[in-house]
This record gives sequence, C-alpha cells and structure tokens, in this order.
Amino acid sequence: MPRYLMLLFGLAVAVGPTYSQEYIDLEEERRQQERLLQDSRAPVAGVAATAPITSQTQNFGELLYQLQLLQQEVMTLRGQLEEQGHQLRQLKQQSLERYVDLDRRISAGGTALSAGDGNTPASNAGGSTAAELPGEADAYRAAYSEVRSQQFSEAIVAFKQFLQDYPDGRYAPNAHYWLGELYLVITPQDLESSRQAFTLLLEQYPDNGKIPDTLYKLGKVYYQKGNPEKARQFLDRVIAEHGSSNSSAVKLARDFIDENY
Amino acid sequence: MKRVLIGLFLAAALALPVRAELVIEITAGRDNPTSIAVVPFAWSGWGSAPEDVAAAIAADLLRSGQFAPVARADMLGLPTRESEVYYRDWRTTNVEYLLIGRVSGGSTVSVEYELFDVFKQEGILVGRETGPVADLRMLAHRASDKVYYQLTGIRGAFATRILYVAFTRRPGADDNYQLMVADADGARAELVLESSQPILSPAWSPDGNQIAYVSFESTRPAIYRHDLSTGQRERLTNFKGLNGAPAWSPDGNSLAMVLSRDGSPDLYILDLASRKFRRLTRHYAIETEPAWMPDGRSLIFTSDRGGRPQIYRIDVVTGRTERLTYEGSWNARASVAADGRTMVLVHRRNDAFHIAVQDLERERLQILTSTALDESPSVAPNGSMVLYATKHDGRGILAAVSVDGRVKFRLPSREGDVREPAWSPYMGEP
Repeated sequence: MPRYLMLLFGLAVAVGPTYSQEYIDLEEERRQQERLLQDSRAPVAGVAATAPITSQTQNFGELLYQLQLLQQEVMTLRGQLEEQGHQLRQLKQQSLERYVDLDRRISAGGTALSAGDGNTPASNAGGSTAAELPGEADAYRAAYSEVRSQQFSEAIVAFKQFLQDYPDGRYAPNAHYWLGELYLVITPQDLESSRQAFTLLLEQYPDNGKIPDTLYKLGKVYYQKGNPEKARQFLDRVIAEHGSSNSSAVKLARDFIDENY
Repeated sequence: MKRVLIGLFLAAALALPVRAELVIEITAGRDNPTSIAVVPFAWSGWGSAPEDVAAAIAADLLRSGQFAPVARADMLGLPTRESEVYYRDWRTTNVEYLLIGRVSGGSTVSVEYELFDVFKQEGILVGRETGPVADLRMLAHRASDKVYYQLTGIRGAFATRILYVAFTRRPGADDNYQLMVADADGARAELVLESSQPILSPAWSPDGNQIAYVSFESTRPAIYRHDLSTGQRERLTNFKGLNGAPAWSPDGNSLAMVLSRDGSPDLYILDLASRKFRRLTRHYAIETEPAWMPDGRSLIFTSDRGGRPQIYRIDVVTGRTERLTYEGSWNARASVAADGRTMVLVHRRNDAFHIAVQDLERERLQILTSTALDESPSVAPNGSMVLYATKHDGRGILAAVSVDGRVKFRLPSREGDVREPAWSPYMGEP
C-alpha cells in the first residue's frame, strides 16, 4: 500500500510531528478500509481456506482497491503534468529571452555599423557610469546573495534574469563579470558561456574597472579551451595595458605565463 | 557580530513567573551593523524604575541584526537631555547614532526620547509614548519601532506579540500543554490556556485582539475562538475527523480551516457572522494548512494532489487553482508576507527540513536555515523576520531568521519544549 504510507507520511510531516494525534481518526478510517480490503481480498488469494463470502463484498473490495490504484495513478500523472507544464512555460520564457537578446545584439550591431560609416564619434556603449534604475540594486543583491550562499547555478539564472531586466543598468558590467566567473565554477564548466560573458563585458564596457581581471580570465578560458596562442594575447594585454596599475590581475597574468609558457 | 553568542536575560520584572518563558540568543548578524548608543533613560518617578527601558530598546535593535548597541561601560557620558550631549565624545568612539530619554509618571508613565545623528551633530527624531506602567516595556518597544523606522525606513515590529505552545512531559502525570502569549522579544509571557491534551495551530485575528486554535480538550480536535482581553472563548467546530489549521481572513470576517467531515481533508471557509461553512476544495488528496494572501482574494495551501506535498493557490471566488512550488519534492506550511510576494515555507532538501523563502514573482526559492527539523514558519508583520520552531540540543525551541537569511537568533524556553509560534499583526497605530 504505498499510497497509504505516502499519505500518512505526507500528512504526518506536512502538519508537523505535533499533529500526530490529530489524524488518528483518519488513520483509523484507513485501517478499517484496509481491513475490509484484506477481508474481501483474502478469498481471492486462498480460495480453498476461506469461509463463504458473498460475491458482492468481494466485488466491492476489488472495486475499492482499483479505485485507490486509479487515484494514486491520477495523482502521479497530475504531478508530472504540472511539472511538465511548468517546464514548458520556462522554456517558452527562455526562448523569448534568447530572441530578445539576439534581437538586441543584432540591432546593436546595426547601429555600430552605421555609426562606423558616418563620422559620429565614440559609441555610448563605453559609458561606464550608467544611472541606477529603480529596483536594480535589490535585484543585483538578490543575485549576489546566491553567489554568497554558493548556489552557483541559481546565481547564473539570477544574473541572467538581472541582465534581462536591467541590460543597461549600473550593475550590468558586474553581472557580466559574475556570469563569466560562475560558468567556470559550476560542474561541468561551461567555458564557452564564460568566454561569451567576459567578451561581452570587454566589448561593451572597455573602461570598466573589472577589465584587467576580465582580460586575465579570458586568457585563462582560452588556455583551457586549448588555444594557448589566443590566451597569450590576452595575458600580454593585461601586462601591456594595465602593467602600470596596481591591479592584482597583472601579477596573476605574469604568474600564469611563467607557469604555462 | 558574526557568531556572537549573547545570552540576553529578558525576564520582565512585572510578568508573573511562568515556566514557559523564552530567552534570546543571537547567533548571526550582519557584517556591518550600525553603531548606536542607547543611554540609560532618566527615571523621575517614585522609587526605582520598574523597567530598564534603554536596555529593552537596545536589545530590540540588537536583535534586528542591523544595529550594534554600544555597551554601557564604553559610554563616555550618560546624557538624558539634549543640553548634556557632547557629540565629540561619541564621535571619538565611532558611535553613529545616539538615543537618550526620560521616563516619568506614576500609574501612567510617559517615555520621552530623542535620537541624534552624531556625525551630522543634529537631532533627527523626538518622540513620546504614554501608557499604563504595567505596559512600560511595550512603550519601550514602541520607541524601538519609531527609531528603527527613522533609521531604516522600514516599520518596526518590536511592539508586537507572539503565540506559542509550550509542552512539558511529566513522568507519572498528564502531559502539560500551555498556550502562551508573550512580547515579540519573549518577555512578559502570559498563560492563555492550559490543557493535558494537545493545543495546536494558534492563529491571530487581523486586529490582534482574538486568536483561534485547535484544542484536543474534548479528546478530539476542535477549533476554538478566544478573546485575549476578556478571556472569553467559544468552540467553532467539532466535526468528526480533522478540525484543523484555522487562518483568519485579512478582513477578520471569516476563518479558513481544514475539515475532513466529508471524507478526505479539504479546505473550508467559515463565515463568522452567519456561521455558514463553505467548502472550497473537493479532492481525495489531502488539502491542508490554508493561509490567506494579503488581499483576501485567494488562499495558499498544501496539497499532495500531485503525488507529493506542494503549495497551491486557490482563488476564493472562482476556485481557480494553480501550483506555486516546483523546486524539490516536498514543500509545505506556506504563508505570505504583507507584501504579497514573499512566501515563506518549509522545504525539504536532502532529507532535512529547512525554512525557505520564495519570491512569487520570480519563482526563486532560497533556503534560509541550516538546521534540519525546522517547522511552522510565521512572518513578522513588517516582513523582516521569520519565527519558526526547530530542535536544538534535543529540545523543541523557537528560532528566528531574517528573510535574507543573514540574521539569526534563538528563543529557547527555560524548560520543556516550545513549538507552533505565531507572530501577531501590528498592534495599534503606526
């Protein structure tokens, strides 16, 4: 009777151990049902040893048993259906997000091109001090708290959602950076997504304070991806472009070159 | 503040000596709490002050996890009026805010207080709370609420109360269940009901004057309504089977509950004026633990209709039902904070039961506690903290955690087990 066990367990824990006396009635009712069931099913199991039982009771017991099986089956199916419906909604949402993201990138690429054709000076993408949007800081902190509690895959979802909600927000560069880092710490690593996140940060926010670290990380990612030449270019850039700063990335890049080249 | 273990002795001098009194131990706080000095208040009544108002306020602020009250021994002066305040003294010890005050009166007392910003060198709040001397401690909590609001922008929930059930097993005698009501800091505990049979699921009316609970005093579960000021009580239900989990609607006119009178446990709504029951769910699975959404239009509840306990929401009028939780195979005992968005629940992960919070708009679930047998979460009216029952050193205790998981404290009882906490709504005007 797995359903009994599950129901009783479910109830016992759902309402807490303190409830244990509250559902005595329920439990008793079920026991009675079960007894009835066993009584009526016994003849089926051992015909020879049974006292005469009317076929009506036997049918009733059999029906009850089948009804319970059906109920259990329906519950399981309902659970699966609910979960699949939910997954479907999530997938739809994600594909919409992907489309919007793609659309944004394509249109950004278009304007960059036309800007390059004309004589319009520097694009606004490099602007490093965007204004903070309402609710942005909270959303960023919520995502960051997932990093703090080491829920890395949840953190990725949160930062992606954050970038979806505040693509040009003040903390957007930080979110890109965290995504790049997070893709490296999840198992399995997602080197390509990490590379994309860091590359995006480098291209969109070339003046951001995180750029030395981003260059170093890109070097590492390319190295891990099996492209030491490209990796070396980024590592050299850290030293060439930020060697005079006191960024820790410079030292890390030097150490990395010493160890691996 | 991290991992500080401070045992704050918070017994109220005036409260009757009742067994099930709670003690507070703060176990985790924020990294950078704001430094505030709460100078002992002047007392101008007869004899000695019946209550250390400043200590009660400092304890409130400390418990929020957002403040670090300065120890009295480190105070360079003990001003009680603005003319006695020398900002320089406080600046040298890096105190950011300074609270001073005076208590005066006889049977009616008045608490006057002034809050100063030490760096700006100016007063930022002046207030006065008046009430009977027996409520002096509550006046202190009200002052804490005002100070907390001034400094954080969030309404304080210190001047609130909590319900809980204390349980003592007595060898050779009947078990002892006590339904208690205490201040939110565990002090001034009063007995509401004592029984040798279980008392469960205490719930507050939205005005905080009445409570509902399940009592087994007639040997089977029945739901009672109890007026806290008059002590009058009445039995609302006594059906065959389960009568449980009462939840007062936000307008105070009806009570959601679980009854199994028609078969398996289902949700019902009792209209308190007409005494009519309305059946809300009709399902052979278990429907239990109803909790109202703040707008009163829908209820959330636990059901295993999908094979495992999960949280659902049902529209009270249309009956439209949707599932809310998808993370993990076990979610139960949910309630929603006043913002209508933060849902607190019990979540099972790796065979351990934790208090978790789910953002209803973003569907993200975050686990707040690391203990394994957490149950019965109840949210503060300002949505800042969650009170819950757990086990510590083999005993049932109450504990609290902030909704961001950063601040934690425990409220163990001196004796016996405590469980089933319920945090009151706001009491009185903001």
